[in-house]
Amino acid sequence: MVDSALVDALRLTLQVAAGSTALVALPALALGRFLARREFRGRSLVEALAALPLYCPPTAFGFLLLRAFRRDGPLGAQALGFDLDVLLTWRGAVLASALMSFPLVVRTARVAFENVPPRLEQMAASLGASRAQVLWRVTLPLARNGLIAALLIGFSRALGEFGATVIVAGNIPGRTQTLATGIFDALQVGDDARAVQLAGLSALLGFVAVWTSEWFLRRSRSSV
Amino acid sequence: MSNTLEFQLTLPLTGFTLALEHATNSRALGVVGPSGSGKSSLVEALAGWRRGARGRIRFDGATWLDSERGVELDAARRAVGYVPQDQLLFPHLDVEANLRFGCTSDGALVERVLRVLEIEALRARGVATLSGGERQRVALGRALCARPQLLLLDEPFGALDRPLRRRILPYLLRAQREFGAPFVLVSHDPTEIAAVCDEVLVLHEGRVVARGAPSQVLAPGGELDEGFENVLRGRVSAVSASSASVDLGGVALEVPRAELAPGEVAVVSVRADDVLVARTAPKGLSARNVLAARVDSLVRGPAARLRVELGAQPLWIELTEAAIDELELAPGAAVFVVVKTRACRVLASGGST
Repeated sequence: MVDSALVDALRLTLQVAAGSTALVALPALALGRFLARREFRGRSLVEALAALPLYCPPTAFGFLLLRAFRRDGPLGAQALGFDLDVLLTWRGAVLASALMSFPLVVRTARVAFENVPPRLEQMAASLGASRAQVLWRVTLPLARNGLIAALLIGFSRALGEFGATVIVAGNIPGRTQTLATGIFDALQVGDDARAVQLAGLSALLGFVAVWTSEWFLRRSRSSV
Repeated sequence: MSNTLEFQLTLPLTGFTLALEHATNSRALGVVGPSGSGKSSLVEALAGWRRGARGRIRFDGATWLDSERGVELDAARRAVGYVPQDQLLFPHLDVEANLRFGCTSDGALVERVLRVLEIEALRARGVATLSGGERQRVALGRALCARPQLLLLDEPFGALDRPLRRRILPYLLRAQREFGAPFVLVSHDPTEIAAVCDEVLVLHEGRVVARGAPSQVLAPGGELDEGFENVLRGRVSAVSASSASVDLGGVALEVPRAELAPGEVAVVSVRADDVLVARTAPKGLSARNVLAARVDSLVRGPAARLRVELGAQPLWIELTEAAIDELELAPGAAVFVVVKTRACRVLASGGST
């Protein structure tokens, strides 16, 4: 018999990871493209800021999000005049996961864009293609596999996100409890068997996502 | 349309500064020189691919670059067809999509280019599956499909071995004849330049060290002298099953038939060390070409050579100093030039080459 709490945690984990990947996709790919092709003053500052979630404790980011979205925070109901309804909801988990996966997506996307020979883009431009056409007809198709890998890596990271998520979204079974926070919950109540189930499922999901992203990365190296 | 190309350029390169000035009405300008002499940089500056070029570039009355007035047209607005050494075919597109990249609306032109360059059978192939020669033809075709006013060809056959280069050369001539675009051809192969160009610039460390007609500039002992090949032009007067007769202007040269047809202009190469000289008419030879000529000039030394006129065209012959002495050769001496049919290589043929 299938454990409904386990199914809920699995469904919510996939929902949060997918939402987080969708949220992060556009800004992270755009920043990856920008960093791959532009030299500018302050570039190292932008790179360091974008990489910050990799090196700071996730709990610190969770705390910052909590402060930002609480009722009297800068993005809270008092400041905006309406409630974004982020805290203690699955949307909060999406936001926390997106923030923590952002640097990995940016970094992998940057490499994917860097692997597209600039001379091919130059050739497209000299054949009359506009900047948007160069991006659409040459850059994105050639970077496609690397970009898919970047999104899958972000998805994988979101699957396992715990520290920021538990602070922003809490750990409410059926509402905000993911596989990662569920493991913590099971350990707290001494339910080792359940913790093993959740950990096994997390490992399986993570393996499939990372293995698929590696497959796309290998293809991206051989396609240009 | 005058098709006058004028440039006066300076461009800092590693180790030296490119400083070139030239004006030409040539429809086929060759640029030769050793590696690192600035040939590719010149073509990239003309194509608008090189930032930092200073000076002026004008083509057909339009200003592409005038750094004093702050004019610098980007590559797309110069309407050039650029074929770089590495071709830069789009690897995610098939051959036809590569050709259509610059001319999505003109299907008839694409079909014509496919036909003229004989790449119709390749249209659905991915570019990664093409051979070197096929890639070169596709790159040339893509440039032609963009309706260029000027073709810029940077060692387009440089990556190919010599026999294959010679097989590709006719396509360039055919493209010029069919599509009418003048071109600038960069090559390190003097024979290639002599076969297709009517004017040549020789570069060395960013400077023009010689310029003029290929027959003058590319003579042996000149700036370029590596296994010299004579390049002769004439009209095909007759063909047989295995050979063709090419009229060089009163002198008939028997060459391999190749794909020559009567009335066509043929471009033929003959290596300078493949030619024999006799003072009396030799008999009983297997060689089909025994041609009466007169010594025009003579160079003595370790690389002794003499020049005779065949029709109105110069033919350089390499021989030893001992042979010159033994045959008592001197300017004005009457000689017989012996060339095997198989020593003549047909480089290209066509209507009005």
